[in-house]
Amino acid sequence: MSIEVKNLTKTYKVKKRSNVDEIAGDFGTRKYSLMTAVNNISFTIPSGDIVGFIGANGAGKSTTIKMMTGILTPDYGTISIDSLNFKKNRKQIMLKIGVVFGQRSVLCWDIPVIESFKLFKDMYHISEKAYRENMEIFSDILNLSEFIDKPPRLLSLGQRMKADLAAALLHNPEILFLDEPTIGIDVLAKSKIRDFICKMNQERNTTIILTTHDISDIEALCKKMIIIDKGTLLYNGTLQELKNSYRNSYQAELYQDTAIENNLETIIKNIYEGEFL
Amino acid sequence: MRKYIDYIVIGIKEHMVYPSAIWAKLFSKIIYLYLQFSIWTALFSSHSQMNPLINREDTLKYIIVATIISAFIECNTIKWINAQIQTGNIIMEFIRPIDFRKMIFSRHLGDSIVKIIFYCIPLSMLAIAVIRKPLLCQEQILYGLLSIILAYGIQFLYSLIIGLLAFWLIVTWPLNMLLDAIYKLLSGAWIPVTMFPDVLYNINFFLPFRAIYAIPVTIMTSKMSPQNIWKDILTQLIWIIFLFVITEIIWKIGKRKLIVQGG
Repeated sequence: MSIEVKNLTKTYKVKKRSNVDEIAGDFGTRKYSLMTAVNNISFTIPSGDIVGFIGANGAGKSTTIKMMTGILTPDYGTISIDSLNFKKNRKQIMLKIGVVFGQRSVLCWDIPVIESFKLFKDMYHISEKAYRENMEIFSDILNLSEFIDKPPRLLSLGQRMKADLAAALLHNPEILFLDEPTIGIDVLAKSKIRDFICKMNQERNTTIILTTHDISDIEALCKKMIIIDKGTLLYNGTLQELKNSYRNSYQAELYQDTAIENNLETIIKNIYEGEFL
Repeated sequence: MRKYIDYIVIGIKEHMVYPSAIWAKLFSKIIYLYLQFSIWTALFSSHSQMNPLINREDTLKYIIVATIISAFIECNTIKWINAQIQTGNIIMEFIRPIDFRKMIFSRHLGDSIVKIIFYCIPLSMLAIAVIRKPLLCQEQILYGLLSIILAYGIQFLYSLIIGLLAFWLIVTWPLNMLLDAIYKLLSGAWIPVTMFPDVLYNINFFLPFRAIYAIPVTIMTSKMSPQNIWKDILTQLIWIIFLFVITEIIWKIGKRKLIVQGG
């Protein structure tokens, strides 16, 4: 399943606020200004890739992901997932993708996790055999059995995230969107989650799109990355190429090769500051 | 279809999670029923300038049945959709291969099943034990049940429409409070609509509220001619179709307007 994004653009209406407004509230006439969240982005993600999707806060990552998952409608541009689009084949696409938003949960808050899983089993028409197989795999890696009978409100953040991850993969999706899946997770749980993501990619050839602020996530998981800033695409390629081009562009300026820090975090910091790319 | 049955089950379980809440609600409803009963009994025993057309027995029956029905027909869909849109959690429903409206309806149905079992049945038994007279009009019970089912649909569609307005307004509770007051008065949940002054009665004739309580409760409790029963049921049907069309339109336009709050 490949994803093709062409000329994607999304603008938001933002209410203009002046001092008068702060007192008068919304009673006065409203003035809007347009804010472009995503500006003419195009890229293609081939099947089976793990792609890191990075950008500073407010760069337009989440908006792009939300358009790619069919939640938001783009103003211009097209998204096609395996040559299907959201306007015509919405349900078909929904059956093929899995989504985890780290800050939100798909699980029903007050009832045991297993009940939510059973709901998804019926929702995605998962066969009894596939369901049992998946549950076994997930229990192995994510220790689901420890907390599967508890409702999400009693789980720790790490446990909830594991449960959400399992819920997103229950129907063997061909594409998995992960929006900050390791936010606020401890080191051990994080490495478990990473291993799990890797394994799913290798065994099932699941295409994975991952947004994160944790650079170590990217280094551990992704071969390719897409960097966006202020709504525009800055970089689309492999990690290695990015490092190489960084080294090349700084070699001329610096006297010693050894002084060049070749770590990804510094590179990305430089990109956000507008000094590179 | 199975997934919606699952949602009904979820609706049931979600309501049953906190047993103390169920007890508290049951007691509050018993107190409310007692309150209504006392007020109306007191009103009639002071027998000052009451309309001679309205008799004590029928009014008391009406109030009791209306209170019992309200215990399960009430719909927290508005609150639920509002919370989902305000927190942005609604996106979690958008990424699923389900119909959002059917999902909400299934949850509501599950919720109502619990309410019927835990509130309506005890309330009815209590009312029958205290009144010791038949509350319902025996020959019209089947029509009454049909009318209640239609009323249930109207109530749900109405709540869905107000809830979905949150796509535009983000916060609809102020609007909801206003409408709630109008709704409680005009639907006949508090006061029988036959007691309204002519002006109000005529305005109400063109609003859907009356179809939620006044129509089904009247069919349930007072003797009517078959023509009038069918006329009332037809009115309900027309409202259901009308509100259904409105929901479709609001849904189609609203979902494109979705702004996801908070990240």
